Amino acid sequence: MKVNVVVAGHIDHGKSTLIGRLLYDSESIREGRLAEIQQLAEEYKKRFEFAYFIDSFEDELKEERTIDTTEVMFKSKKALYSIADVPGHKEFIKNMLTGASHAELAVLVVSAQEGVQEQTRRHAFLLKMLGIKRLFVVVNKMDVLDYSEESFRTVREDVGAALTSLGYSDVSFIPASAAEGENIYRSSQRMKWYRGPTLIEALDQVNLSLEPKPLRFVVQGEYRVESQEIIVGRVIAGLMKIGDEIVVQPSDTRTKIERIRVFPADQERAQSGDSVGLVIDGVAKRGDVLGLVGSAPMAVRRFWGEVVLLDGSLGKGEELELRCGTNRVKCEVREIKEKISAETGAIVEAGPSEIGENEAATVLLATEPLVVERFSDIPELGRFVLVKGNRHIGVGVVLEALE
Amino acid sequence: MLDLKDLENRSVYILREAYAEFQRPAVLWSTGKDSTAVLWLCRKAFFGEIPFPVIHIDTGYKFKPMYSFRDRIANEWGLRLLIIRNEQANKEGVGPGNGKFECCTRLKTQALKECVEENGFDALILAIRRDEHGIRAKERYFSPRDEDFRWNYKDQPLEMWDQYQSLAGESTHIRVHPILHWRELDIWQYVRQENIPVNQMYFAKDGKRYRSLGCEPCTFPIESTSKTIDEIVEELEVSKTAERSGRAQDKEKAFTMQKLRALGYM
Repeated sequence: MKVNVVVAGHIDHGKSTLIGRLLYDSESIREGRLAEIQQLAEEYKKRFEFAYFIDSFEDELKEERTIDTTEVMFKSKKALYSIADVPGHKEFIKNMLTGASHAELAVLVVSAQEGVQEQTRRHAFLLKMLGIKRLFVVVNKMDVLDYSEESFRTVREDVGAALTSLGYSDVSFIPASAAEGENIYRSSQRMKWYRGPTLIEALDQVNLSLEPKPLRFVVQGEYRVESQEIIVGRVIAGLMKIGDEIVVQPSDTRTKIERIRVFPADQERAQSGDSVGLVIDGVAKRGDVLGLVGSAPMAVRRFWGEVVLLDGSLGKGEELELRCGTNRVKCEVREIKEKISAETGAIVEAGPSEIGENEAATVLLATEPLVVERFSDIPELGRFVLVKGNRHIGVGVVLEALE
Repeated sequence: MLDLKDLENRSVYILREAYAEFQRPAVLWSTGKDSTAVLWLCRKAFFGEIPFPVIHIDTGYKFKPMYSFRDRIANEWGLRLLIIRNEQANKEGVGPGNGKFECCTRLKTQALKECVEENGFDALILAIRRDEHGIRAKERYFSPRDEDFRWNYKDQPLEMWDQYQSLAGESTHIRVHPILHWRELDIWQYVRQENIPVNQMYFAKDGKRYRSLGCEPCTFPIESTSKTIDEIVEELEVSKTAERSGRAQDKEKAFTMQKLRALGYM
């Protein structure tokens, strides 16, 4: 099983160090790499840091900060982990989101010395919006505070309050020192007052169960192979088999699955995740979504969404493009209901005329007919990006589809 | 093998997105295991026939068996093979002897640059993986290059979920990386499962084998007794050495790879 984890948090709270430590303690660092990094640190007159295992840009080493997201993999006794390191600096939010967008679990690193800071809040807000299922808070740098239980409790309360206001309920806290390797991979002898799991134990214990969902197939294109029309795309939810009666949206036409093609041989069925080709008795084109008769998706023209803007501004009445699934449609911002603080999740302004960079809002979007689903129901069709002049400038999730 | 299926599904999805988004894509093929696996994935994505050119950058310094393997597979799979060389640099006698950095840049990057300009390719599909090198771990699936081929690694585009940006800023072409998320071990398991042909140089002879294939003067074999794919898989499960430990570009100096890649290297 592969589990995708993102490590988030404020700058200098020790995200990269924590990942470097995970790699080192799980014996995933290749031979000679430690010596290489020690030499590099010497050359650049820096003290050795576990972070240098993953901060591979020269500029990252020089500036002692992560600029862009990195994904590394390692194996514990239970699972294969893909860990995304993300920058903790405000100017790199788009890189943080890129790294976090595939994660199922998140680790929020908070320095015991500094407690909740601006990016702690912002990252927690964004992770919540991205639908992260479980969040683990590592209270890091406990070594600097002599592994004091009281300090840990103070930070836990502080972080706990911030997370509760963002809507988190089930959060675990782990006192740790990534630099010293306490409670990351190895159980700490210096914090015997803590009886909970180490970080890796906590991650290993998570069970990611999949709930059954109705069939959704997104169409990527139509190919002509051996004089037969093949609709290629991906099953993003549910199951399909030959003979199933299906509905194509937004054209709202009914048809039937005749063949399920993969190279070199046909399949009888396809399930969530599968990239396949379909032969159907009908027409479907890029951007369309297929579902089964009885549980088919609906196309809408208006929906409420929550968006975060990463570039420029977004005003009421503005027209731009929206991408959802494989669809790309024109879209208009009909209404900006509330501007939301991307730090606290609180409403900061009702009915603003526009929002700016790194700001969030609930908006009413009007589009050409488009299949969207509530993000909490089918995330793959409940999330979208906003496109302006060919640049992806914002991300959003669907709160409610209207009609 | 649910995991290999997941890897394959995602790669096929990415290849089809690239095919939908670009007018003139092409795929790069070194004849090594990774890019041969990518060709296999392309055959999966497009039902046997790859609908775009396959570029082989011939530095003139490749191992002989790489050329014979290339010609055999190109024929068997009916590839639209495009062999490119930097003739000017070859004439000038550019080689690893007068500087590896310049050699890589001129014989590979420069040759590719001219080919892209001539053919107007707007996307190049490449078989790099995150776990090969720290710098490659920083890549996007769709990664823009400007007209000078530069990789602006300090300001990479937003890439949310499966929404890849096909046009970003002043880019002239996009590098598409369909197997970015695969590990070396995954590639070998996939090669085994799908029975994908690979160059015999990967298998041990006299206690040595090539783990990564490049140009003859700058690529060295590793100590290994793995004579079959099963043995290679077993070896990799416990190996702690770097995959590219036999490749000179990675070793020269720290950040050589970053500098090569910033100039358009793969």
